[in-house]
Amino acid sequence: MSKEEVRLFIGPQHPGVTGNMSVEVLLKGDTITWAKTHIGYLHRGFEKLMERRIYIKSFPLVCRICVPEPDTNEENFARGLEELAGIEIPERAKWIRTLVLELSRLQMFIMWYGGIAGSMGLSTPVQWGIGDRDYILDLFEELTGGRIYHIYIMPGGVRKDLPEGFEERVLKLMDIIEQRLPEYDEIIMENAVVQKRLKGLAKIPRDWVDEMGITGPVARACGFPYDVRKDHPYEAYPYLDFDVITEDGCDAWAMLLVRRREIDLSINLIRQIIEKMPKGEFLARLPNVLYWKIPPGETYVKSEATRGEFGYYMVSDGSDKPRRVHVNGPSFVHGITLLERLLVGQNIADVAPIMVSLQTCPPEMER
Amino acid sequence: MVWVVIKVVVIFTWALVTVLYITLLERKESALIQDRIGANRAEVLGLRLNGLFQPFADALKMFFKEDYTPPFVDRPFYLAAPLLALIFALVPVGAIPVADSLNLGGKEFSLSVIGSNVGVVLVLSLLSLGIYGVILGGYGSKNKYGLVGGMRATAQVISYEVALGLSLVGVLLVFPSLNLNEIVHMQNRYVLGGWVPLWGIILQPLAAALFLIAGMAENKRVPFDLPEGESEIIGYFLEYSGMKFGMFFVADFVEVLLLAGLFTTFFLGGYNPPYLFQDGFHFPWGGTWLLSPVWIRLIQFITFNIKLWIMVWFLLLIRWTYPRYRFDQLMDLGWKSLIPLSIFNIIITSGVMAVIK
Repeated sequence: MSKEEVRLFIGPQHPGVTGNMSVEVLLKGDTITWAKTHIGYLHRGFEKLMERRIYIKSFPLVCRICVPEPDTNEENFARGLEELAGIEIPERAKWIRTLVLELSRLQMFIMWYGGIAGSMGLSTPVQWGIGDRDYILDLFEELTGGRIYHIYIMPGGVRKDLPEGFEERVLKLMDIIEQRLPEYDEIIMENAVVQKRLKGLAKIPRDWVDEMGITGPVARACGFPYDVRKDHPYEAYPYLDFDVITEDGCDAWAMLLVRRREIDLSINLIRQIIEKMPKGEFLARLPNVLYWKIPPGETYVKSEATRGEFGYYMVSDGSDKPRRVHVNGPSFVHGITLLERLLVGQNIADVAPIMVSLQTCPPEMER
Repeated sequence: MVWVVIKVVVIFTWALVTVLYITLLERKESALIQDRIGANRAEVLGLRLNGLFQPFADALKMFFKEDYTPPFVDRPFYLAAPLLALIFALVPVGAIPVADSLNLGGKEFSLSVIGSNVGVVLVLSLLSLGIYGVILGGYGSKNKYGLVGGMRATAQVISYEVALGLSLVGVLLVFPSLNLNEIVHMQNRYVLGGWVPLWGIILQPLAAALFLIAGMAENKRVPFDLPEGESEIIGYFLEYSGMKFGMFFVADFVEVLLLAGLFTTFFLGGYNPPYLFQDGFHFPWGGTWLLSPVWIRLIQFITFNIKLWIMVWFLLLIRWTYPRYRFDQLMDLGWKSLIPLSIFNIIITSGVMAVIK
């Protein structure tokens, strides 16, 4: 640290940081010359806690790993457990799970779409995003009883079947959201200042993607057509018809475009799911889950969260509690390795847009 | 003397009440834009009136909040900063003509507090002094975020001061006077068969746009709110609380009033509604409506307020639909676009003036 530099902590309580983490930067004028992230403000020891609980009791834990998007975690944990126990789940359960996953992805992306504008001081779409997301949360409340934490996906299927008329309400909501989206585009995409701020910001060299293990929309913005939904399909995704979205810019603007197109994709997928959903059972027959001994073995399951590839490594030793659960979230790479390197040389004003563009989720970095 | 005291009390009360209601307009307008309802709970004697009393509730809240001074601050600077910010924002408001001067018994009575012959220079100089509040606030807080905010504010206001002054040169070429009241008088001329008023915005459209942009940068609001960018550095008033923060806050809105008032005066024909002359309305279709001088002053005051509120509404609309520039982009815009454009405007205007003469 030279005499011309100022050491500044951005976070853990800072409106521009995406959660409880802090970024320590050295500033020379307005430019960041060095950056270091500090996590640990939100460590709740989930992985250790899971080792002391029977499997079914871990569901309320996993859905708190990343707060705005609990369903991916639930689904991953349930699928890992099913693979360990060797359970085949009914066809309809797979489709309902996929529907829940896509609704959850849609609400997250809508909130993000407003949030990227909020990180640059444009608070109008933030309010719109939170408002429109609320309609999806209403559907979740009707379906699962919870707005944020659903605990709906269970080993062997889902907790309840869809309520009567739920499909029509989902389709109606998709129409409403589709009508609202052009308004967002007008205030965000077509805004000269937003374009000026985001084009060329957070430019990622292409070789970092493989080197660091960058996944999700960030990798797709660099032209890597990697999407777990397509490459390693799970649940009902093999039966759905869609293309992987890629952009070439590799900067924050390309990430914005990818996520904007993901919203359209999610709406499209939800319509397909509702159209193709089969009838039948929604929960497989299970042994008593309170005394459920899982055969010894290990498995790694992964799925596509909004931020990237989300993986669960689970080991069972034959008892009713897991030997080890390891959660691998994309934010660890995006929010620490990548963020520290990207921030060097940037303006201090761009810390918030970069963090939001990478969609870092601090609770997910420290399980 | 009594006349001056009455003027000071009336004008500054008007200004502060207007400012209070600008805060309400900001809350209501942002609510409208963001699909919300906005503040509507403040209640006096069971009357809510959709939030009409909210500004007074806000002001009371500011007064009765704990006024905490952190132990590490540089006390003289820390205490002086909000005062300077508010004073230098409020004093120029007194120079804006809200109605024509009144002729009573052969004597001229100016209705603005500072009826100076060099009003333009006075307003500009006081505006640039306002930056001292921000610098001292950022420096005296002894907080790094505050310091960065104060530093940004200094660079920004000094750069845009140049563009602001240069954009007014074009106006002063067209209306050759430094007296704000005179400038308003000179805009009360009509062309095209007496239908179109020769307002500043018609004679100097480029200068109007430049003045508006530079003025928005000058009073540090979105898209130029870098000194207080809440997602970046929180702001130069980071360590202030209670009414000290309230003074910065009020100074901010007084500057909105000031910018809207100056824009009205320079470019929108000031307090004169179209076709109002010294003795009443003379309409281009031939009708006349003669009025007594006092009635004319009243109409002028109301007209000024209407124009002012339209401008305030426009400024707030921009504030809620644009994100903030980055610092280097802001400097680029100021030095590479606004200043060359205003110099270009001066050259064109003086060329045209020379040809006409």
